[in-house]
Parts: sequence; C-alpha cells; structure tokens
Amino acid sequence: MKSNYTKKSCQAFGAGVAVLASALLWTTPLIAGDYSFSGESNTILRMRTTINDKNLFPAYEYLRLNASDNRSDGTGLSFYLGAWGRGDLGDKSTSSSTDGDLQYAYLTYRAPKNNTAVSIGRQFISEGVATERIDGLYLRNDFLYGIGASAFVGHSVITEPNFPGGSIVYGARISQTDKKYYTVGLSALKSEYENSSRYREEEGLDLWIRPHQKVDLTGRSTYNSLTNGWMENNYALSYAPLSTLRFGADFSHINFKDYLASVTTSALSLINPVWKANEKQTAVGTSVAYSGFKNLNVTADYRFYSYDQSGDASYFGGKASYSFPENLTVGAGLHRMDGDTDRLRYVEFRAFASKKIGHADLTIDATNLNYDRNINGIRACYTFTGAAGYELNRKLKLGADMEYSKNPDFDNEVRGLLKATYTFDTTFAAEGGTKSEK
Amino acid sequence: MKNKIVSMSILLLMMSLLYACANTSSLPRTHPEDVGKAGMPDCTACHTDSWGAMNHRAPDFMAKHSNYAGSSRQVCSSCHQESFCADCHSHKEEIKPSDKFTDSPERNLPHRGDYLSQHKIDGRINPVSCVKCHGRQNNARCASCHR
Repeated sequence: MKSNYTKKSCQAFGAGVAVLASALLWTTPLIAGDYSFSGESNTILRMRTTINDKNLFPAYEYLRLNASDNRSDGTGLSFYLGAWGRGDLGDKSTSSSTDGDLQYAYLTYRAPKNNTAVSIGRQFISEGVATERIDGLYLRNDFLYGIGASAFVGHSVITEPNFPGGSIVYGARISQTDKKYYTVGLSALKSEYENSSRYREEEGLDLWIRPHQKVDLTGRSTYNSLTNGWMENNYALSYAPLSTLRFGADFSHINFKDYLASVTTSALSLINPVWKANEKQTAVGTSVAYSGFKNLNVTADYRFYSYDQSGDASYFGGKASYSFPENLTVGAGLHRMDGDTDRLRYVEFRAFASKKIGHADLTIDATNLNYDRNINGIRACYTFTGAAGYELNRKLKLGADMEYSKNPDFDNEVRGLLKATYTFDTTFAAEGGTKSEK
Repeated sequence: MKNKIVSMSILLLMMSLLYACANTSSLPRTHPEDVGKAGMPDCTACHTDSWGAMNHRAPDFMAKHSNYAGSSRQVCSSCHQESFCADCHSHKEEIKPSDKFTDSPERNLPHRGDYLSQHKIDGRINPVSCVKCHGRQNNARCASCHR
C-alpha cells in the first residue's frame, strides 16, 4: 500500500514551501545586504548486472541548496533544500524507470538571543524520543535557569508502508541544562491516524551527565503508552583517565513488543517470524581505546547480547587506524561473532587505506567474512572496493568506484559507479568557517 | 473553564518572564574555527565543558551521537548542514551512505560492503537498529522482498 499523501500532497507541500522560501530569500538580500548562497550537485551513474541478467544503469542527481541571510547580530533567515531524482538509462532498476524525492525543504529563523528558532517545511526533528521527518512546524527556545523547550507539529513523512501509518504527529521536549555538568530532558511524541485514532504515544527521559571532565554518561529511556511498556533503556558511559586512554561501557534493554508496535514495514513488524513477539533483548558492551602513538588509534571491544527466548551471542574484537590528516588513512579490524545459529558464527576482517596525492585520491577497502559453516554453499565472503577521485578545481571533483563481492546471495558480483560533484558558494559564511556538506 | 484560563495565563506569564530574563546569546550559526580541515575534530582541544564530550575521534562517538543530537542539535548545526544528516537519515533513499562515500573508509557509515547477506545477521541480532531508519520510512527496498 502506498501513501497517497506522500506521493502527491507531500511533494506539493514541499514544492510550495520551496517556492515561497525562494521568493522570500531572493527579496531578502535587498533588505539585509549580507547574504550567502551555496550548494552542491552530485551526479551519479551506477552500473551493475542483476541475477536475472538485467543491465542496470540508474543515473542520479542529488541537489543541495542553502541560502542564508547573515546579519551581523546573528539573526538570520535561512532556507535549505535537498532533493534527488533518478532516471534509468538501461533496464528498470525498480518498478518505475524514474523516481525522486524531496528530502528536506524548510525555512528557518534563528534569533540572536536564547537560541530561539522557528522552522517550517519538510525537516528532520531530533528532540528526545522524537527522531522524525515531518512536514510541519518546529519551535525551540531557551529560558532562565538553563531551561530549554521545543515543540513540533506536522504530518509524518512515511514512504512505501506495508501497513498504514500515522497522519498528524506532534511532540515536545523540555530540558534543564548546566552546561558544565548535565542536561536532563523529558519529551513526548503523539501521532494519530487519519481517523484521529491513536497511532503512537511515546514518552521519554534523556540524560547527558558529565560530573567530571573525564566522565561522560548519555542515555535514554522511552515508554510506550499504547502498549504500556518500556520500549528501550539505553545508556552509555565513558571514562577517560588520560587524554590517550578511554574506557567505555554501555547497557541497553529492549522490549520488542513495545518497540516494534507501530512500524509500517512488515520486515520489522511483530509478524516477522525471525524474532518472537515477546522477545526481550539485553545488550552489555565494553571497550578500551588507546591513542598514545601519534595519529594511531587502537580499540578493543566486547558486546554480549542476551535474549529471553532466542539464544545469546557475543561480538568481540579490535581495530586499529592511523590517520595523517589530508594525506593518508589506513585501518584494519578483526571481530568474531559467536551466536547460536550458523549465520551468527563467523570471523570478520576489514582493512582499508586512503591516500591523497596532489589533486587525486585513491581508496581501497576489503572485507572478509568467514562463516564457521557453509551458507548457501559459501563459507568465505569477500567485498573489495576501489575508488579514485580527482579534483579538477575547487568546485568540481570527478570520481569512479568499482566493487567486487562474493557472498551467499551473489556468486561474483561487480558494480561500478561514476560521480561528479560540483559545489558552489557565492560568499563564505560571515561568522567563521564554512559549514560542512560532508 | 475559569480555572483553566487562570492556569494558562499564569503559565504564559511565567514563560514570558523566564524568556525575558534569560537573555543569553544564541550559539553562533557557524563554528568560529573551521574545525573540519584536519579530519575528525577533537572538541576537547578547546572545550572543557560538556561540548568537549562531542569529540568526534572518541571510539564511542558514533554510538552516542544520537543522544547528543537529541539533546543539543543546535550545537551540531554550528558545523553541519542539514545535508550532512540527510546523507544517512533519509526517509527515501536508493544509494547506501557507504556507496556515496567510498572515498571516506574511516567513517562509520552503515551497510558497508555486501549488506544483502549482512542484514540477515544485523536484523536477527537487533532489529531495533533497523527501525530508526526503515521502520516507518525508507522501506521500499525492504518491501521488495518482505511483503
């Protein structure tokens, strides 16, 4: 079942916001006088042959546009737009030979005081329990005593659902911060079906505690009011006794019944026979990282997954990486997964290197997965990737990738990709460095 | 009804007072230093307060970044454009992040290499990790097999 809203109304809404915002921004410079316009175009051609001998050559265009009114007092009106489109030059790569999407398109105003922000349009909301893309309105503000508040309301962006999802979604978060020591937040999210019946009701507590400069604790607990159960409790602690040594520990407990109750994808719903509906997972992990040698980082990690109804699994190993900024990056990692099924018993190895030589850069990346027993007649799986790029000038870069893989699903698969990246920036940001697109 | 109006008025008055008295400067819209030039930034090089925790070189930064973003996204916005988040957090996408950025092998990008085989392992170990991106959106590829 496809959402009519997503396919039609949503795109019309996005286009409307884009037109309105563009009109505002093209007239704003006449008033403000300090204005920047930047963006990036990525043109990508992918190449592969499918298992049915179909030759796929989908060509993509990714476009990102940013326009900002940079007033010296920090006040600013900005517009951000991201979209992509695809056309198949060979056989159809999906059920349609063309497709595309408006990823985000919103107008935002930021005030010089109290981190006041107002955004309208298609945007990504990340506030406590809410990690949503909506077509709607977002507000935030800081108050006295470190209190901050945010709220949002809009229409959920749901694509290609197997089951109907919610229509309107709204939520809020209130937090209290002592910048040196902690942030505590309480948040809630509600979503309703088009007939106004309840779809999602989630509440949560989020913590970020830094009692000492060397200790950092983050985490979140989320409760599902519709199923009356905790969806997840997820906390991570790190302790860095030295600037070169860091210990980490994390804990998570997830109730599948409560967490998966409102998904619209059948693959992840409770009807999927891969996991039991009343399954509960507890994961405990620990890690130690050392960076005592110049530009060299070494990490060892261990994670234990425990299930109420399925068997347990352990994942452990280590990795090392060496990076010389803007010149050379090399790394390697070795991990063992030790679980109760054939697919969960393997050794994984990965090595990569990336080197910049003048205007060119070269990258190689290899992954090897060795199962304890054959899966579809295959025991050792490989993926080799090679990539090369060349910067013609500050604005234009060309690149080409080639990937070979052998795995239980594909015997010898070769894929290729060509890419042209064009960036443009009419002015540098008035208040400092330019922001990163990557 | 009268009580509700009084309560709302008091709440609005308190909010206005808190707002008026707060008078803090907003975070700069762009980071004062261009910190991305030398690879992943180490925020502790300058910040001794909670922002130092956002050290991108820390091995657990990737696992914790959702908590930082959910708590203080305006801090992220000082250095990152919306497009940076959308490279991975997209509601409809056909190219894996690791395929878009093969020239950055050091980044913790999801679905690296042969993910058709690997997704059966990750999905069995922790389906919740899939839900955040594919549970309610970006699921066309899932639906092509899981009907």
